Amino acid sequence: MSARAASGRTGRWKERLPAVAAAAGLVLAWHLLVVLLEIPQFIAPGPLDVAATFVERGPILWRNFWPTFFEAVAGFALGNSIAIILAVVFVHSRLAERAFYPIAVFVNTIPILAIAPILVLLLGNGYAPKIVIAALICFFPTLVNMVRGLNAISPQLGELMRVLSASQREILFKVRLQASLPYLFAALKIASTTCVIGAIVGEWIGSNYGLGSLIIEATYNFRSPLLYATVFLGAGLAVMFFTITALVERLVLRWPTAAQ
Amino acid sequence: MRNSISPGRDSAARRSARDIAIAVRNASVEFGEGEDAVVALSDVTIDFNAGDFVTIIGPSGCGKSTLLRLVADLVPPSSGSVEVFGKSPEEARLAREFAFVFQDATLLPWRSALDNVRLPLEIGGGGALEQQAAPDELLRLVRLDGRENALPHELSGGMRQRVSIARALVCRPKILLMDEPFGALDEITRDNLNQELLRIWRETGTTILFVTHSIPEAAFLGRRTLVLSSHPGRVLDYFAIDLPDDRRLAIRDSIEFVEVTGRLRKLLEKAA
Repeated sequence: MSARAASGRTGRWKERLPAVAAAAGLVLAWHLLVVLLEIPQFIAPGPLDVAATFVERGPILWRNFWPTFFEAVAGFALGNSIAIILAVVFVHSRLAERAFYPIAVFVNTIPILAIAPILVLLLGNGYAPKIVIAALICFFPTLVNMVRGLNAISPQLGELMRVLSASQREILFKVRLQASLPYLFAALKIASTTCVIGAIVGEWIGSNYGLGSLIIEATYNFRSPLLYATVFLGAGLAVMFFTITALVERLVLRWPTAAQ
Repeated sequence: MRNSISPGRDSAARRSARDIAIAVRNASVEFGEGEDAVVALSDVTIDFNAGDFVTIIGPSGCGKSTLLRLVADLVPPSSGSVEVFGKSPEEARLAREFAFVFQDATLLPWRSALDNVRLPLEIGGGGALEQQAAPDELLRLVRLDGRENALPHELSGGMRQRVSIARALVCRPKILLMDEPFGALDEITRDNLNQELLRIWRETGTTILFVTHSIPEAAFLGRRTLVLSSHPGRVLDYFAIDLPDDRRLAIRDSIEFVEVTGRLRKLLEKAA
């Protein structure tokens, strides 16, 4: 049994090997390019400079990491919760859908960079505008997917529910919500990375903390290694959120689904 | 009071009322309106007796499914009436007088076999009903004991359909409406389930209306068979099948069986 488990582990490593090798190759190429072309550090730092920054400037990086982390998580929770609730309302009320769907589409078409200053003016310099921007960016994909998912029940299942005289409430809690899960997780995986983008964009405007603010500061001061380190930290945050969402999905969705 | 005056006649009247499970009177069903209207059923009048096993066969578009859906309150009649044990289809639905088995097992993929069987008890007031069967016993009845915790995707197509039959029986319905339940299964599984269904019918005494487009299936399962013609759907023939009650698959090689299927085939040629 242990032999089989071990062979499974090496099998998984074999599967991942190409990705690891490609990433290592790219870092090596980056290093060689910077060294061979003698590119000045402020234009493009090498991987070793960036790694050194993580060690030397660790405290300032982490101090700015946590606000962004918090804004992204709060925005993720807020935007997706509103989207899920609104989707449930839309599915049960054609009137609400007709009234508010066009507005949702309109809000979605406004570039997030254009909304950011408006929200800063409205909500001030604190966490609030960043959370709202992160929420806004999550909101629309989840709304659209959730409406589709809640309606993803076969006509026969609808007839079965009718023969059983099920109420709308029972159909929602016994069928629709579970049927929507594959669609919801598809949306949550998108939202898990875009919420970080939302938080960082929010910090670009009128903020003196967070990874977004650090990006602006490092750019203006030509502290390129710090800029690169911050970008990697932001990307790492997004990857972490994505991985957690995918893990939760695997735990929750134990049946094969068409949407996966 | 009436009992004391003429007990014999009254009990006879009650008996005959109870004997008719479903009474369809001049029922028509039209889909769409105006010139685009399609007549699915036209002026159908028929009685289905309690405890009977009726197979319904006909060319596609003859309204076999529509007839079942009419009884199940899934489609309203455009004219005429339907009574299920003296009730309207809606009242019968609310009282769980009937259950429906679809061609697709329509199980909830996130629920185990046992929890799928339990579903009708959890919704639509099913939990308040007196006539409940134990879900685990029903799984034994359809020979799925031991697979209670399996999710639908872990079961074969035939097993899924067995779960759906168990689910249909959980409120002890008086009538089982089956719309080509074995139509999507391979022949061996289908033969097997046909025999199982006859056994379940004998053990539960449920009235069964079974739509099929297989002539051997209609002849093998039915005590009576209803032949519908198409465009529009009308009753072409409704007759008792004279085969022994205790049927084995081997009966299909007998001359009597071949005579029945021959008669059905001729009717269907006329019906198309």
